[in-house]
Amino acid sequence: MQDERALPVSRKISSWRQFKAILRKDIVMELRTKEMLTSMGLYAILVLLIYYVALSQAGQGFDVTRIAGGLLLLAIVFTSMLGLNRSLVHEQDQGCLEALLLSPIDRPIIFFGKAVGNLIFLLLVQVFVVPLFYFIFLSGGMATEHTGPWWMVALALIVTSIGIAGVGTLLATMSVNTKGKDFILAVLFIPIMFPLLLVAVAALSAVITGDPEYVRIFWTMLGAAAVYDVIMISAAFALYEFILGA
Amino acid sequence: MKRQIQVAVVLIVLGGLLTTAAFFMSFYTASVQRFGTYTAEGHVDTVFDIAPSSEQVAGGVTYGRPWLAQKIFYFHVPVALASFLVFTIAAIFAVMFLIKKKKSYDTRSRLAVETSLIFTLATMITGILWTRASWGVWWEWEPRLTTYFILMILMVAYFVLRNSVSDEERRATYAAVFCIIAWIDVPISFMITRLIPSSHPVVFQPGMDVTNLVPFIAAMIGMLGVGYAVYMLRAAEENAEERLDMIREKLEA
Repeated sequence: MQDERALPVSRKISSWRQFKAILRKDIVMELRTKEMLTSMGLYAILVLLIYYVALSQAGQGFDVTRIAGGLLLLAIVFTSMLGLNRSLVHEQDQGCLEALLLSPIDRPIIFFGKAVGNLIFLLLVQVFVVPLFYFIFLSGGMATEHTGPWWMVALALIVTSIGIAGVGTLLATMSVNTKGKDFILAVLFIPIMFPLLLVAVAALSAVITGDPEYVRIFWTMLGAAAVYDVIMISAAFALYEFILGA
Repeated sequence: MKRQIQVAVVLIVLGGLLTTAAFFMSFYTASVQRFGTYTAEGHVDTVFDIAPSSEQVAGGVTYGRPWLAQKIFYFHVPVALASFLVFTIAAIFAVMFLIKKKKSYDTRSRLAVETSLIFTLATMITGILWTRASWGVWWEWEPRLTTYFILMILMVAYFVLRNSVSDEERRATYAAVFCIIAWIDVPISFMITRLIPSSHPVVFQPGMDVTNLVPFIAAMIGMLGVGYAVYMLRAAEENAEERLDMIREKLEA
C-alpha cells in the first residue's frame, strides 16, 4: 500500500492502457460523428467514378487488369490523405492535442494510438472500397479472368496501409500546424511514400494480372515494402516526440 | 565574414581550375570508359565508343551517338555524388539541431539543403543531356532516375514546408524532421542501380583505369570545393542579413 502511494499517478497506468485510451477516444468520436468514414468512403467512390470517366473510351479490347493495381492503390492513397488530414485537424481544432500533451501519457504512445486509429479507419474504408472496385472494374467484360488469390491482394494492401498510416500520422501532425494544411500534406506525403507505392503496385499488379511468376514477384516486392515500412515507421516513431514538442 | 568570402572565392577559383583540368584530361588522357550495367541477365559491360560515327537505334529512331556524350561522365557523376554527400551533411546537421536545439544548426542544415539542391539540378541537367545522347530519350522512368527525381521533389518540398510555418522554432524542428526522413531516399537512390535491373550504368567497379580515375577524382574534389564555397557565401550572406536586422532594430528603438 505504501509503495503504491509513493509512486506518481502516471506510473500506475500501463502503456497498454494509455494506448487503448487514445484509440478508444478516436473510435468513440468516429462512432458519434461518423465524419471520417463517410467522407473517406464518399471520396473513394468519387475517385472510382472519375476512373470510369477516364476508362470510358478505352474500348472493348482494353485489358483493365494491367493497370488495376495502380488504380486501386491510387484511390487508397487519395482517400488516406483525406482521412489523415481529418484525423489531425480534429485534434487541432478542439485544442485536443494540447490536452493530450498535458495528460500523463508517454509521447510514443500518442504516436501509436493515432497511427493505429488511422490504420483501422483506412482498412475499414478499404473493406468497402476494394470489393466495389472489383465489382465495377474487374468483374465484367473489361477484365480477363486470370487473377491470383484474393488474400495476396489483401496482404499487399494491409502492408501498404501500415506504411501509409505510420508515416502519414507523422506528416499530418506536421502539416496541420502549417498554413496550407492539406496541400502541405500532399507535398510531403506523396514523394516520401513514393518507393512504397511503387513496390506495392508491382506486387498488386503481379497478382491481379496473374503473371506466370507472380508468386516470386509478389513476395520480393512485399518484402521490400515491409522493409520500407519498418525503416520509415521506426524513423517516424523516433521523430514524433520532436514534432509534438514544437 | 570578410575572411569567409575570401576563402570562398579562393575555393571557387581552385575548384574551377580542377574541374577544367579534369575536363581537358577527360579528352586527352582518359581511355575509353567501360560501364557496368546491372540488367535482368546479369552484369554486363557497356563500352562507350570513342568513334563519332557509331549508330544506335532506340525508340525507333536511329541516331549517331556522339563520342562527346561519354565525357559528360566526368561532370555528371561528381556532381551527383556531391549532391548525395551534401544532403547527408544536411541530415547530420538536422539531427544535431534536434539534439542541441541551437539555431545555427538549423541554418547550416538549410544552407546545406540549398547547396544540395543546386547540385541536384546540375545532375538533372547533365543527366538529361546524357540520356538523350546515349539512350536516345530525354527521360526514362528507370529506377535510378525515378528515385533521384523523387529526391529533387523532396528537397523542393523541404522549402515549401519551411515557407508555410511561421513560428521560427517550430519551422526549424519540422524542417529538421522532414530532412531526416527525406534523407532515407539517398541510400535508396545510391544503391538501387546495384540491386535491381536498371539501364543506368554502375561506374565504380574493380579494374577502373587510372587514366579515368585521375580526372574523375580531380573533378570530384573541384566540385566539392565549389560546393563548399557556395555554402560559405550563403552563410556569409545570412550573417550579414542577421546583423542588418539587429542594426535596424537598434535604430528603431
